Amino acid sequence: MLRLLATIRKEWQLLLRDKTGLILLFIMPVVLITVMALIQDAPFKDYQEVKFDILTVDNDHGRLGRYIREGLASGGQFNIIDSLEGRPVTEAQAKELVNTGKYKISIIIPGGATAAIVSNANRIVNDITKRMGMTVSLPVKQQNISPDVIIYFDPAAKKAFKGAIHQALDNFLTQVETDMLLDRIKMQLRSRDTTIAAANDTLPIRLQAVGLKEHATGSSKQLDVVSNSVQHNVPAWSIFAMFFIVIPIAGNMIREREDGSLLRMKLIPGSYLAILAGKMLFFVGICMLQFYLMMLVGIYILPLLDLPRLVMGHDQGATLLVAAGIGLAATAYGILIGTLFKTPNQALNFGAISIVILSAIGGIWIPLEIMPPVMQAVGHLSPLSWGLDAINDIYLRNGNISFVWKDVGRLVLTGLAMLAIAGRVEKRRMN
Amino acid sequence: MTSIAVKELCKTYRGAAAPTLKGLSFAFPEGKIVGLLGPNGAGKTTTISILCGLVSADKGDVTIHGLHQDAAHREAIKRIIGIVPQQIALYPQLTAVENLTYFGNLYGLKGPSLLSKIMHYLEVFGLEKSAHKEIHKYSGGMKRRANIIAAILHDPRLVILDEPTAGVDVQSRSMILQFLTEYNRQGASILYTSHLLEEAQSICEEVAIMDEGSLIVQGKPLELIAQLPQCRSLEDVFLHYTGHALRD
Repeated sequence: MLRLLATIRKEWQLLLRDKTGLILLFIMPVVLITVMALIQDAPFKDYQEVKFDILTVDNDHGRLGRYIREGLASGGQFNIIDSLEGRPVTEAQAKELVNTGKYKISIIIPGGATAAIVSNANRIVNDITKRMGMTVSLPVKQQNISPDVIIYFDPAAKKAFKGAIHQALDNFLTQVETDMLLDRIKMQLRSRDTTIAAANDTLPIRLQAVGLKEHATGSSKQLDVVSNSVQHNVPAWSIFAMFFIVIPIAGNMIREREDGSLLRMKLIPGSYLAILAGKMLFFVGICMLQFYLMMLVGIYILPLLDLPRLVMGHDQGATLLVAAGIGLAATAYGILIGTLFKTPNQALNFGAISIVILSAIGGIWIPLEIMPPVMQAVGHLSPLSWGLDAINDIYLRNGNISFVWKDVGRLVLTGLAMLAIAGRVEKRRMN
Repeated sequence: MTSIAVKELCKTYRGAAAPTLKGLSFAFPEGKIVGLLGPNGAGKTTTISILCGLVSADKGDVTIHGLHQDAAHREAIKRIIGIVPQQIALYPQLTAVENLTYFGNLYGLKGPSLLSKIMHYLEVFGLEKSAHKEIHKYSGGMKRRANIIAAILHDPRLVILDEPTAGVDVQSRSMILQFLTEYNRQGASILYTSHLLEEAQSICEEVAIMDEGSLIVQGKPLELIAQLPQCRSLEDVFLHYTGHALRD
C-alpha cells in the first residue's frame, strides 16, 4: 500500500510541476468542448430551433396560398415573407434573392391553383353523385390544367433540408385538396336532403381518423432531452480529451526509461505491479477529474454562451462507472504506447494521430449512424465509440448500469489486454 | 565469505550476432571495494544487470552473499544490494527530498526516520542547502551525489556502482570516493566499474579485468602491476591485456 500511495503522490508532484501537461489535460479540453459546441450548434439546430425566412409569392390569392402560408408559419420554423420594402415580392425577385443565397427558400403559388383544386374536387364529386343516381352537378373547368407550386432553393441547401420542405408542402397540398373534396361532398349532400343539412350543418366527416403523436421511449422519470450540440459535443470531446492522456503517460514512461528511474524502481524489492497500479490509479483519477470538469462546463458555462444546458441522465453511478472504464482504457493505451515506442517524439506523434483516427471512426466528430455501413462496422471497434455509446445510453436514453455494462466491460477488457501486451514487450526488452 | 560469486555465466541477447558473456567467472570477498573493469562492450553492464536480477543469464550461476540469484531469492538479494546506475536515475522535476522520499517509500521506509536519514545523507554529500531544489537545477556532480544517496537509503550490504564519477568535477569525485571508502569501512562491500583506472587503482582492493564477455585477469592492483615488469600502473596492465584497438 505504501508503494501505491507513494507512486500516486509522486505522479501528483510531477503533474503539478508540469505546467504544459496541466494545460493539455485541463484547459485545452475546456476550450475544445466550448468551441466544438459553439460551432456545431447551428448544424444541430438545423431542423429544430433555427428559423428560416421563406419568400412567398402568392399569385393565387385563394385558399391554397392561405393554407400554405398559415401551415408553414404555424410550425414556428419559418418566417413567411411576402413583401419587401412594402411591395409584394415578385417571382423574378424571389428567384434572384434565393439564387444569391440571401434567402434559403422561395415558394411561388401559381395563379388559379385554388380554382384548379376546386374544379378537380367538383369533377370527382360529380362523378360520385352521377353514379349514385343524383342529378345535381357542380361547375368544372373544361380544360384539366394542374398548375405546379414552384420552389426555389438556395443552391447550397442540404439535400435533407430540401426533402423536409418538399414533404411539408406536399402535406399542405394534400390537406387542401382533401378539405376541398370534403366540402364539395357536404355541399352535394346538403342540396340532396335539406333535413340533414338543417340538423347537421357540419357533417362528421374526418379523414384523419388515426393521428400521429410522438411519445418518449423511457419507462419512468423520462427526460425531455434532445440530441443537441451540447449533448453530443460535451461527452464526445471529453472522451477524446481523456484519451489524450496517452501523451503525458507515454512521455512520462519513456522519460522514466531514459533517465533510469524505471530501472531503479525495478531494482527495488517488491512488486512492480504495485507501482504500476499506483500510476494507473492516478491517471484514471485524472481522467475522471477531466470528465467531470467537462460536464460542469456543459452544465454551468455553456448555457452562459447561449447554448443548451447539458443533461446528465438519472443514473450517476452508471456515469461514474463509464468514466472509470474510459479512464482505464485511455491510461492502459498510454502505458502501451509508452512501452512500445523508444522516443517521446515517436510516442507523441503516434499517440496523437491514433487518437484522432480512433475518434473519427468512433463517432466523436460525426455520428456513426450517418457513416457508410463499412465505416460503421469499423467504428464500433473503437474504444471511443464504446465510451460515447455508453454515455449516450445514460444521457439520452435514460439508461442505467444494465444499459452500459457491455461497453464498460469492453473498455476494461481492452485496457487489461493492452497492459498485458505492454508487460510482455517490457519483459522481452530486458532480455 | 564471498560477497559475489559468478560461475560460467553466459548471455546472448535476442537478435544479437554474438554472445555478450562467454562463460564469465569471478568471485570477490565480502567487505572489500572491488573493481570490475573492461573496455566498452566488454559485458560489464550485462554482468551487473544479471547480478541484480534485471536480466536473466542463459547459463551459469550467480551467488550474492550466499544467496543464489534465482526466482526464489531475487527479492532477498534486492534487499541487500544497492545499485547506483550510470544514469541519474532520479526525477528531474522533483526535488532531492521528494525523490529520496519516493524511493525510500518504495523500500518500505517512511515517516520521520526516513526524513532524518535523507537529511543526514544530504548533509554527508554536501547537498543539505539544495535539499528542496529540483534535480534538473543541480550541477552534474550534485546529481551524481544524489544518485548515490537513492541507492543506499535501505543500508545495503553490497553497493554496486556503474561509473559513479563519470563527468564530475574533482571536488565531487573526491567526495564520492571518500564516502565509498567510509561506507566500506562500516562493513559494506562495494563493486565499482569505471574507465578511470587511476581512480580504480587508488580505491579498489581487488580488480577483475574482463573483455569480450570473459574474465582476462583478477587480482590486487599492485600485484597485477608487479606481475608485468613493463607496466607501471593499472592502466598499463589494462592496455596490456585488452590491447590498443578502439572499441566503438
